[in-house]
Amino acid sequence: MKNGPLLFIGIFAALGLSWAGLALGSNAQLGGLAPYYDQLENRAFPERAPGIASRGKLVYQDLGCAACHTQAVRRAGFGSDQDRKWGDRQSYARDYIHQERVQLGLSRVGPDLTNVGARIKSAADIYKLLYQGTSAMPAFPFLFEERLAMAEPSPKAVGRVGDREIVPTPRAEVLAAYLLSLNSPSDYPVEKADNTIAPAKKEGEHK
Amino acid sequence: MISATSNVAASETDTTARGPLVLLLVSALGWLLVSGVLALIATIQLHTPAFMAACPWLTYGHTQAVQETAAVYGWAANAAFAVSLWILGRLGGAPLRGLGLLTVGTVFWNLGVAIGIVCIMLGETTAVPFLQMPGYIHPLLLVAYGAIAVPGVLAWTGRRQRATFASQWYAVAAIFLFPWLYSAAQVMLLAAPLRGVGQAVVAAWFAQNLMSLWLVPTSLAAAYYLVPKLSGRVIANYDFAPHGFWALLFFGAWTGTRHLIGGPLPAWIPTVGIVTTLVLLFHYVIVALNLRAGLGGGRGNVVLGFVSFGLAAYLLGGLLDAVFSFRVFAEVVQFTFFPVAQYRLAFTGGYSFLVFGAIYYLAPRITGIVWPSPGLIRAHFGLAVLGTVITVVSLATAGWVQGKALGDPATTFTAIAAATRPWLLGATAGEAILLFGNIVLTVHFVRLQAATVCPAWGSISTLEASAS
Repeated sequence: MKNGPLLFIGIFAALGLSWAGLALGSNAQLGGLAPYYDQLENRAFPERAPGIASRGKLVYQDLGCAACHTQAVRRAGFGSDQDRKWGDRQSYARDYIHQERVQLGLSRVGPDLTNVGARIKSAADIYKLLYQGTSAMPAFPFLFEERLAMAEPSPKAVGRVGDREIVPTPRAEVLAAYLLSLNSPSDYPVEKADNTIAPAKKEGEHK
Repeated sequence: MISATSNVAASETDTTARGPLVLLLVSALGWLLVSGVLALIATIQLHTPAFMAACPWLTYGHTQAVQETAAVYGWAANAAFAVSLWILGRLGGAPLRGLGLLTVGTVFWNLGVAIGIVCIMLGETTAVPFLQMPGYIHPLLLVAYGAIAVPGVLAWTGRRQRATFASQWYAVAAIFLFPWLYSAAQVMLLAAPLRGVGQAVVAAWFAQNLMSLWLVPTSLAAAYYLVPKLSGRVIANYDFAPHGFWALLFFGAWTGTRHLIGGPLPAWIPTVGIVTTLVLLFHYVIVALNLRAGLGGGRGNVVLGFVSFGLAAYLLGGLLDAVFSFRVFAEVVQFTFFPVAQYRLAFTGGYSFLVFGAIYYLAPRITGIVWPSPGLIRAHFGLAVLGTVITVVSLATAGWVQGKALGDPATTFTAIAAATRPWLLGATAGEAILLFGNIVLTVHFVRLQAATVCPAWGSISTLEASAS
């Protein structure tokens, strides 16, 4: 190769093509996705997360939870996601349109959290998990603080040391609110139709 | 073999560029040790989650992010700058120019990385893989990079000969592609993020191309330069080299989205990634054909040993990428430690080994003295090979075990953790050996530099007496 400018143009074209194809191409297809308006319920799905959950999502991001947890359910037949009761349906691009930072995750050292709000019903269970950890997940003791116990113990307390009780910090509270808010809407008609295999036609049938 | 005339020009390059290149290499090695310590902590946390759990700066999410950042933006980046600039200067046939800018850029780059790492530990991270530092750090790094790249661009535009060599294409591609890639990712992920899962597509594109379009071209520039020099044989089937180069750029750039298989995206996006990963095998075949003289092993030359192992790991990594992108395997290994093992094979086995070879080759040529101890080079080689093999094999096995267990809905995460624990302990041992080997390299490099100031530190013999 002797032609310097041609080399330069080729290098630029290689990156530019892949960028146009993948970044612009996917954005052209998905960037305009709108929420689905359900006339029966008179609501649009997916719904925006409440403010406290948005703050909790920042805690999720800051702690690096996505290093071990994904937020995407794969389709039935590809992996055991739905058999593990992580969701009744696969995740669709539409589920993520309101998320400022999408954290699909790359690793499943722990379970998928797409619909964790449907599995864990109370903040107390999340506090317990965060405070104690498991053999597969670390504890996060710095998300909790000790304070003098009142006559009536705090309903949020995860433990008691003498006359002091251990309660979640505000960070733990918003994180729990975020996790409890994670629950995909039941389904969208367009995606449902696109991803359902049509029943096989009977012999001689035209429609 | 270096001809008499180029020897004169080369020695000019050596003396003038020594300071800035040594600064880059010292920074690179410093970050290599930082990332090694963090990799050790992170793997311990994988099998013993309670390890350092009380420390809010060192949650696994943080240690993993900081390790990745220190390895890529610290070690790999500084080493890539040093190696590609040195090669471009050498093949350009003139001393490197713009060295003041290079020094200023290096200082600001490393300052930026250090601040970024502290920010991640304090909880201010973007949580985007390979772009973990907070959004305001990246523009600083981009400007610093602009200054670092100046000598490379000047060496390319001011080259003495119009005809160019494969090393130059790869080095120039790396120098130009990194800033375009990096700025595009910053805009589309951090400054004005795309809507919804478009972010995941750009993140996958960026993470892959940081390897395929920046680090891989840099390491191949080193390989195409070192193999003929060290083996004393010309590059075989050199006519094919341009095809290998363009195949990497045009197909490699699309391969990242294979990781998104099964994700909440239209099927064409992962499919494009899988298809191009298979087509990219063409590139690996050409690299293997061209550089087969370097694959034969060291035969007493330990620097060639580094290059051989690096090439072998690179080629094996390419083959594994292709095989494990197939749906039947991807279903098992997706979201496990297996892709981590593949990444470590390409990064620690491929990239780092080729760059180690380049550092061992160029350091005497920029300081004018030979390495004080051949024994330390052999020790580093042995430890690096052992550490890489143990780490990659352990992680791959852990990933396979984990993937099989994840596929069975009855297996709990506690059971999966217990099943992978022995292999993760193995990976920890591998990381410890790697760290030890890198300490050997760093001590040796410091000794080499000290010997230029105080000859008593090294067994001084002139370069001409023993090199090449």
